Amino acid sequence: MFKLFFLITLLSSLLFSQQIDFSSPLNIKLFADYLFCDKDYLRAIDEYEKYLSVFDDDSIQFKIAVGYSAINDQSNAFKKFSSIKKTSSFYDQSRIEMLKSLYLQKIDSSYFLNADLLINSQSPFSNNAYRLKNSSLLLIKNDLPEKENFLIPFENEEKNNLSNFYDLKNDPPYKSEVWAGIFSAIIPGAGKIYTQEYGDGITAFILTGLFAYLAYTNFDHDHPTRAWIFTAIGAGFYAGNIYGSVASAQIFNARVNFDFDEGVKLFLEEKNYFTPTYDFCK
Amino acid sequence: MTFVNKNLLLLIIVLTSSLVAQSTLQQQFDFAKKLFTQEKYFDAITEFKRLQFFDNENQFSFQSNLLIGKSYKAGAKYDESIKYFVLSEMDAASDEEYFKAKIFNARTNILRRTTKQAERILNDLLIDQRFKSNEKEIKYWIGWSYIFSDDWEKAYEIFNENNLDTALASLCELVDQEKYSVNFAKYSSYLIPGFGQFYTGEYLSGAISLGWNILFGYLTINAFVEDRIFDAIIIGNFLWLRFYSGNIQNAEKFAVQKNLEISNKALEYLQYSFMGERP
Amino acid sequence: MIINKKYFLLYILIFQFTIYSQTDWVRWEKSDPTYQIEDTFLDRNYDLSIESASDVIVKPVINAYWFFISDVDGANCPFNPSCSSFLAQSIKETNIFQGTLMFFDRFTRDTNVFGRHEHYPRFGKKHLYDPVSLYTLNEEKIKYIPAKTFINE
Repeated sequence: MFKLFFLITLLSSLLFSQQIDFSSPLNIKLFADYLFCDKDYLRAIDEYEKYLSVFDDDSIQFKIAVGYSAINDQSNAFKKFSSIKKTSSFYDQSRIEMLKSLYLQKIDSSYFLNADLLINSQSPFSNNAYRLKNSSLLLIKNDLPEKENFLIPFENEEKNNLSNFYDLKNDPPYKSEVWAGIFSAIIPGAGKIYTQEYGDGITAFILTGLFAYLAYTNFDHDHPTRAWIFTAIGAGFYAGNIYGSVASAQIFNARVNFDFDEGVKLFLEEKNYFTPTYDFCK
Repeated sequence: MTFVNKNLLLLIIVLTSSLVAQSTLQQQFDFAKKLFTQEKYFDAITEFKRLQFFDNENQFSFQSNLLIGKSYKAGAKYDESIKYFVLSEMDAASDEEYFKAKIFNARTNILRRTTKQAERILNDLLIDQRFKSNEKEIKYWIGWSYIFSDDWEKAYEIFNENNLDTALASLCELVDQEKYSVNFAKYSSYLIPGFGQFYTGEYLSGAISLGWNILFGYLTINAFVEDRIFDAIIIGNFLWLRFYSGNIQNAEKFAVQKNLEISNKALEYLQYSFMGERP
Repeated sequence: MIINKKYFLLYILIFQFTIYSQTDWVRWEKSDPTYQIEDTFLDRNYDLSIESASDVIVKPVINAYWFFISDVDGANCPFNPSCSSFLAQSIKETNIFQGTLMFFDRFTRDTNVFGRHEHYPRFGKKHLYDPVSLYTLNEEKIKYIPAKTFINE
C-alpha cells in the first residue's frame, strides 16, 4: 500500500516538473518582464495587459506606459500615465512623464497648461517640469521671458547651456537679405560670399564678368547682334545673382533656425526631457 | 483497506484535475505552430518566445528559432529572420537540422538581395561532404540566387545541368536571349552616334541624336577648316561633345532599362505564376 | 575553436538584437514584397496642360526643349528638379520675370562644381535636391533640409 502511494507521488511529481501553467498571472508577468527587458515593448505591453485583467498593479500600469513611451506611441503613453492613481507611489513620476508625452506630441497651450499645473503643485518633479517648460519656450515663436526668470530652474552646466540657447534665440546670427542684395549689386557674387556661399559667389562673379567681357569685345569688334545677346545673358546673370543672394540670405537664416531647433531638441533628448530614468531590469 | 482506496482515489482525482490546468512544452509548441500555420506570424513569434523562456533545457530551441525565423521571413523582416536562422543553426542537433537552417538562411538572403552571402552559404554546403545527397536542392537555390542577382545566363546553366529544373532553365534561357547587350549598345554608339538607340528600338531618340551629332560635327570641322579655331573649340566642346556623350549615355540607359523590363517581367511571372518552390 | 566561434556569433547576434528589436514595436502582418528590381532612372513628365496665360508659350517651348535637346544630350544636371523643370516650376509658382531670375541663379549654382555634396541634400542615387520652394523669396515656403540627407520622393 505504501509502495503504491509512494509510486503515485513520485510519478505525479515527475509529471508536474514538465507542466507549466503558461496562463498563470505569475508566469505571464515573468515572461512580460523578460520581453520588457529585451526591449520587445509591444509584446510586453500585451502580456502586462493580460496580467492586469487579473491583478490591479500600479507598477505594471506604469511599465506599460513606459513601454508605450519607448516605442514613441505618446498618445497611449499619456493615457496610461494619466490612469495612475493619486495613491500610487508612481503618481508623481507619471505626472512628469505625461508632460514629456505632451511635449513629444505637440508644444501647444494644453502642454503649457499641464506644465504650469505641475510646476505649481507640491510634486517632487515640479522643478523638472519647470526646466522642461522653459526649454520648450525656445522652440516656439513667442517672445522669451526675462533672462533671469528664464534661468531660474537651472543650475551649473545646464544653466550655461540654457543661457547660450537664450542668447542665440534672442540674437540669432542672421544675415541681412537687404545687405546681401546690395553687396551683389555692387560686386556680382559678393552677396553670396556674405552668406557664406563662397563657390556660388565666385561663379556668379565669373559668369557675369565673362558675359560682360564677351558683350564688350563684340561691340568693340562691331558684332552688334552677338553683343546684344551676350549683354542680355550677362544682365540676366547679374540680376539673377542679386536675386539669388537675397534668397541665399533667407536660406542661411532658415538654416540658423533649423540648427538652433535641432540643438535644443538634442539637448532635451540627452537630458531625457528632465524625466527620471528607470531601471526595471536589474 | 476501503478507507485507503478512497483516499488513493481522491489523491488521483486531485492530481489529475490540477494537471488539466497546466500544459507541456510540447503543447505550447503545438499552439505556437498552429498560429504559424494560420499565418498569424506576430502572435506565433510571441508564443515561440514564451516557449523559449520557459524551456530551461532548450528542448525546443532549434524548432522554435527556425519557426521564428520563418515567421519573420513571411513578414519580410529579413534581417531578424536571418538572425534566428543562425541561432537555430547553432542549436541544431543533427546534420539534417543544420542543413535546414542553412538553406532557410540562404533563401532569406536571396529575398533580401544579399545574393553574395546566399551564394557563399550555398557554396559552403555544396563542398560539405555531409550534404552530398542534397546537391540538387543546393544547386536549385544557387540558381535562384543567380536569378535575383540578375545573372540569367548562370542561372540557366545551373538549372539546365542534369535537367535540374527544365521550366526554370527555359525561362532563364529566354530572358538571357531577349536581353540586350549593354556593352554593344554603348560601344556601337561610340562609332556611330544613335546606333545603340536603334539597336534597342528607340528609333526617334537615335535619329535625333544622330542628327545633332552630324550637325555639330559638321559645324566644328567646318570652323576648323575655315581657321575659326576659337569657334571650333566652343562648338566642339559645348555642343558636339555634349550631344556625343549624351548619345552614349542614352544608348547605355535604354539598354539597361529595356533589360530591366525583361528581367522584371520574368520576376513577376516567378513571383505570381510559377508553381515550383520559391525562396 | 568551434565553441569560441559559436559564442562570438552569439555575442554579435545579441548586440544586433537590441538594435533590430524596433521591428516589433509595431504589429505587422504577412508580406510578400515584389521580386522586381526598381528602375532608378528618373522619367520625364511631359506636360502640355495650359493652366495660365504664360503656359501658352512656356510649356510648348519647354516640352520641345526636353524632347529635342534635353532628353538627347544626356543627364547633365546634377539637381532634381532639372534646370529646365526648375524654370517651368518657378514660372508656375511665381511669374515669368521672377521665374527667369530664379533660373539664372540656378544656372549659376549648377555651374559651380565645387562643394556640392556638402551643400545639398541627396535625391535618389545620383542627384542633389534643390526645390523651387527655397527660392521664391517666401520665407514660409522654405523647408530647410540639411546637406547629405537622403530624399526619395
